[in-house]
Amino acid sequence: MALKDWINYADYSDLQNFAYYPYETHNIVYEIGYNLYQVLGGLIAWIIDVLFPNNGLSTWLMSGPVVNLFAIVNLALIIFLVIFTGVLVSLWQERKTLGRFMDRRGTQIGMKGFLQCVADGFKTFMKENTTPKKVDKMGYTWTLSLVIGTSVLVACMLPLSDRFYIVDYDAGFLIVMAIYALAPLFILVSGWAQNNKYTLIGGMRAAQSMISYEIPMLITVCAVAILAGTFNIGGVVAAQNETMWYVIPMALGFIVFFTASCAEAERTPFDLAESESELVEGWQTEYAGMKWGLIMLGDYLRGFASCAMVSLLFLGGWNIAPFVSAEANAFLPELVQLLKGWFVFFLMIWVRASLPRVRIDQILNLGWKVLTPLAIINLGIAVVLKTGGFF
Amino acid sequence: MAMKYLDKYPRSTAKTLWVLKPLWSTIKLFSKTVVRRPVTIQYPYEKEWLPDNYRGRPGLRFDMCVGCGVCARACPTGCIKMIEVPDDDGKMVMRPEIFLGRCAFCGYCAEFCPTNAMTVTPEYELAEFYKKNLFWGPRRLNFEDTTPEMEVHYEVTLQSDIDAGNPERRVHVFDVDNPVVKEDACIGCRKCEKVCPVGAVTMIEKGLNERGKPKLVPVFDHDKCICCEQCVIDCPKSCIHIEEAL
Repeated sequence: MALKDWINYADYSDLQNFAYYPYETHNIVYEIGYNLYQVLGGLIAWIIDVLFPNNGLSTWLMSGPVVNLFAIVNLALIIFLVIFTGVLVSLWQERKTLGRFMDRRGTQIGMKGFLQCVADGFKTFMKENTTPKKVDKMGYTWTLSLVIGTSVLVACMLPLSDRFYIVDYDAGFLIVMAIYALAPLFILVSGWAQNNKYTLIGGMRAAQSMISYEIPMLITVCAVAILAGTFNIGGVVAAQNETMWYVIPMALGFIVFFTASCAEAERTPFDLAESESELVEGWQTEYAGMKWGLIMLGDYLRGFASCAMVSLLFLGGWNIAPFVSAEANAFLPELVQLLKGWFVFFLMIWVRASLPRVRIDQILNLGWKVLTPLAIINLGIAVVLKTGGFF
Repeated sequence: MAMKYLDKYPRSTAKTLWVLKPLWSTIKLFSKTVVRRPVTIQYPYEKEWLPDNYRGRPGLRFDMCVGCGVCARACPTGCIKMIEVPDDDGKMVMRPEIFLGRCAFCGYCAEFCPTNAMTVTPEYELAEFYKKNLFWGPRRLNFEDTTPEMEVHYEVTLQSDIDAGNPERRVHVFDVDNPVVKEDACIGCRKCEKVCPVGAVTMIEKGLNERGKPKLVPVFDHDKCICCEQCVIDCPKSCIHIEEAL
């Protein structure tokens, strides 16, 4: 029973047609946001009503559209916070796991090292926010916002479960990949706008590698879509729960997609765009203070999104396994999806700990001459499996 | 014609799989370190185990010291100085004072100490705010938990010993060395008797000098002598030398 029932206002939300308005299925995040607004907004409305009886503001605050608006704002905040926490955990995981790979302890600042990211955030926040004189201000600032914005968007658009999503759309993976593919353009423009040779080289490298690895990624997504019969993310996961994890019939595609997503997220064997030993900090060289911190956050958000995509496409998403009962699968599917994402991130850390950085010609050779043909072979396998009636 | 890179390392698909080798070796190390924790020692909170003869700062057992000054002469950095301090009875005695700012922690002072009064200690956290605090006097050099293992014995086997049919190791090289006086040059000034820290020198009358008067010459008690060479250094006529009993 919410406060507004006690205040005895009319409940306008019942006037909507859908049971889960504005969603068609149960969305737990919207429900939490809705109830949160019921409590907080209802409290504010009640206080205003106590102070000024029979005013219009309280009625307006608790009217259906306003409640819906604030519920959606809460939904966006909750989803971002959950994804953000997941990214912070993956940061901590990278530090600790890399430490173990090198026979050292990794970070140790508070809560077994988890608070190191808070310390880093404060440190970058405290730094002087300088802008070089000769940069192109517009390109310098806007591309930064756009790179970070698309990274956050792509990380938040991937659902954590069938009840934890922003929008449920049939073109799911295509839209995610489309937003994912926007970043190279902004990075190239950003590197150019900074009026520095290192940033320009870094931006061009980033654009080259990202464009060349976009293609095997998309072909692999298409192969998965052929097997599942849909681009819808929930549909792909449900199809895997009915048959098997797609990593089994398409191990080739898994390897191709994993490698390409490493390159897309600019992780170490493919981190040519910000190769510290050659280019100072790549295309991020001229960004100071919190701008750089946000770029790092964006990088890790992209890595997190890559891992979540690998999990959704090949590892069964938020279902524990196909042979597990529906009741067990229904228990905290969000956590299962996060754990699978972190497992894939562990694989990325493993690759980072093992392999040195490759040259730019090697990375392009690998992308165009190895991964693209392998992705096409994988597509052929998918077509054969689908037309042969195995799936 | 320079060799091209691709001639030397021809491209082969099978060799590409060698990327699996570093992956395998890193995951081996990872599985080991997950089980048995990393090797890093959290220094201020946990400390490494130290053996008793760890060469930390020198320690001094005040009562065993005879003030011979061998440590001051053996010190390669010259950080040891003999100073005069009152002992337990209020008598002024010579004892070493060590400037730890210059000490190299080599342990030679403990090694050469004839009475094993100087030891090494497993103490190594010696930072001070002022330089003057780094001068450690004889009383401060005392280390409470001194064990016999902290003594450093300079044990050697000399080739000459082996040739002479005595292959046992000498615990102290100078134990069997003796001071010898050239009686013709001695003027009987009693300096050696005064400086001897263990009282191994007695002056006896022996013969006559050129004026026909009785002459004093030192006689060394080999059991008491620790071969510290004080008499050799202080002899005004340089008529004492150490004879190596090799």
